[in-house]
Order: sequence, then C-alpha cells, then structure tokens
Amino acid sequence: MNVIDIAFWIFAAIAVISGWRVFCTDSMVRASFLLLLSFIAVGLIMVLLNAPYLGIATVFMMAVEMMVMALFMVMFMMNPAGLNPMMMVHQHRFSIAAGVFVFATLTGLICVTRFTSNPVDPGLDSVASLGKELLGNSMLIFETAGVTLLATMVASVILSSRSGRFGTADTGAVPPPLEPGGEPAGRQPEQHSGHAHHHH
Amino acid sequence: MYAALAGSGVAIVPFSSASVLADLEVGIVWWGAVEALTVVVVFLHGWSANAQFGLIGAYRYVAIGLPVMLISMFMLIAAALPAESLALPQIVESQRGLWNVIRQPLGLPLFLLLGLSLSFRGPFNYADSADIAGGTAAEVSGAPRLVWEFARLAMLTAVAAMAASVFLGGYLGPWLPGPAWLVLKTATLLLVLVCLTEQLARISPSRMMTLIWTTLLPLSFLHLVWAGVLAL
Repeated sequence: MNVIDIAFWIFAAIAVISGWRVFCTDSMVRASFLLLLSFIAVGLIMVLLNAPYLGIATVFMMAVEMMVMALFMVMFMMNPAGLNPMMMVHQHRFSIAAGVFVFATLTGLICVTRFTSNPVDPGLDSVASLGKELLGNSMLIFETAGVTLLATMVASVILSSRSGRFGTADTGAVPPPLEPGGEPAGRQPEQHSGHAHHHH
Repeated sequence: MYAALAGSGVAIVPFSSASVLADLEVGIVWWGAVEALTVVVVFLHGWSANAQFGLIGAYRYVAIGLPVMLISMFMLIAAALPAESLALPQIVESQRGLWNVIRQPLGLPLFLLLGLSLSFRGPFNYADSADIAGGTAAEVSGAPRLVWEFARLAMLTAVAAMAASVFLGGYLGPWLPGPAWLVLKTATLLLVLVCLTEQLARISPSRMMTLIWTTLLPLSFLHLVWAGVLAL
C-alpha cells in the first residue's frame, strides 16, 4: 500500500460516511454541506486518478451548487432562516427499494465486468485531450451557447421578479386592504418621518 | 476556529503563481474552487455561530459574494483565452508582448471587485460590517478572531497576487528579477484595494444586487465576447 492507496481509502471513507449522514440530519444547511463534503472527497479521488480537471472542477462546481442549494432551500421552504429542524427524507419505502436496487445493480455490474488494462503514455496532456474529446471543434459554439443561456436566465429572473406578492416591486410593496377600498392592512408607516423616536 | 483556519489555508494555497510552488495544469479552475470554498467557509462561519447577526451577515454575504464570483470567473476565462491554457504560468507567458490589462481593459477593475468581495472589505462588506455588530465575526473573540482577521488579509493578498499575475504580467518586467516585479505589482494592487476600501461608500444590499446583476454582469459578458473575438 503506498500513499495514494491510503489517500484513496481515506477519501472513500469520507465520501461514503458523509453521504450517509446527509440522510440522517434534520437541517437543510447541514444536509447541503455534508453532501458537499462527500463530493469534495470524490473530486479528490478523481485527482488521485490523474484527472485534475474533472476532480477540481467537481469541487468548484459542487461548492457553488451546494451553497446555492442551501440558500434556495432556506429561501423557499417557509422555514425561517432554515433554523427549524425538519425531516429531510420522504417516500421511505420507495427510496429504500430504489437505493437497494441501484446499489445491487451497479455492484453486480462491477463484479461481472472484466476491466481492460490499457495504459496510456504518461506524458499525455490529459486536460487538453479531454477538452478535444468532449468538445472537439465546437468549442466556440459551446461557449457562445453557455453565455447566451446564462444571459437568458438572468433576464428571465429579472423580468419575473418584478411582480411581488403585494404588487410590482418598483412601486413598493403595500399589502391589500382588509375591506374593499379600505386602508392597507398591516402596520402603517410613520407620518412624521425623521421624528420617529419621540420621547414622552 | 475551524472555519478561520480553513479560510486562511484556502487563501494561502494559490500563491503558486510566479516561480511556481505548485505547477497545476488547471490553475484557473483551482482558483475557482478556492473562491467557491471561501464563500462556503464565510457562510458557515456566520451560520455556525447560532446567533442572529452572524446569520444575517452570512446570508447577505452569499447573496452578494456568489454573483461577484461569477463575474470574476468570466474575467479569468477571458484571460485564459489568449494563453490557450488554464495554467497560470502559460497565462503569464502569454502576456510577454502585451499585458492583459491593456488587451482586456475591463478585466482588472472587475477582478479587483472580487478582492473586496472575497475579503468583505469597504463597499462589499456585507458579512462583517458594523451595522450588524460585526456580522459573522460577532460571536468570536481572542485567538480565533485574530486568525479570522488574518485570513481576511491573506485572502486580500492572494487576490492581489492573482490579479498581478493574470492582468499585469506577473513576474515579467525589465531590469529587476521576476519575483521582485511580482511583489511590486502585488503591493501596488494591494494599495489600490486598500484605497478602494477607504474611498468607496457601501450601498444597501438590494441596490448592490441590482448593480451587479444588471450592470456588472452584462459588462463581463461584453468583456468575454471582446476577449474571444481578439483571441480568434
């Protein structure tokens, strides 16, 4: 066993254990970042396998993704600041069955398959050849499409976020009245702005 | 404490730019991972305090820090285009004729915003500002606080060194030896960053969000198109 083997077993253990803990925690933020820990360990295993671009890109993408996921879950879950404990799993029987089935299938396939040993030239520039293999000559098209997609996403979010819960965002949010034609519901803003803190 | 150590560790790693401590084929991607993990670490620092002000700082930081990071990644991709490589040494070498700061004029100013955002200083201090009693650092004192502040400064220095390498030609320059040039350029950028910290006022988070998404991000798109056309 050399250093790389030891590192592999450590990362593998981290990946599996943190992946398992994702389903045991009762907090959205904890679940997200345990999953991130699992992905980081997998990314580092990829680096060990001499795939630096894929490995580090996994760490990079997953860090952003889990951060965004935690933020969006907390934002949209009606769970104030994500502080209330909540059940993170659902459809128990179906999930357990699906998990067991997928695990058995994949493990079975691994056991049955005979992996070929086909060593490549150690001087091969794996990053450049990976890029050519994935994108070939359509690099420019992919990059243009990527930026266009992002611009479209930003624009659609901006267009759709104008309509707020109580009217459009740029007119200021005023809750509707309790009776037709009445005063807006909720606390009224102070009439004498600037003298809000009178001491009597 | 754990988060502070992680923050400083994350900050120190990418110093591998000039005479190359760690010659990574995918240096730019590595730096991207560092940026992303910094956002995560700052968020967790505020969240783990289990207190209001820390949490507010953490969420505000994520809201502002993520889009700024997005912009900075466009700047770095644009800088990688003329070099045709993701490795930092190649990017520095590609500037032998002309520095990226002239070839891609929008790159450096937009990337410096990242420096302010990543170490939450001045106009981008939404994480640890005085209006929320210190934000994510409100609950720590003593040695952990010292490490945290050190990590912020280390991150600022790391961004300056990165910007000097990617946009100002790194170790390239006449008369002086390479490392001296890198130190000089990094120090100049640090000076600029500190001046920006002191001179610019902070605006409210919602207005900053609007500014980032509707002005700075389209600018970074334009920048990428510009760099792409030049590289063709």
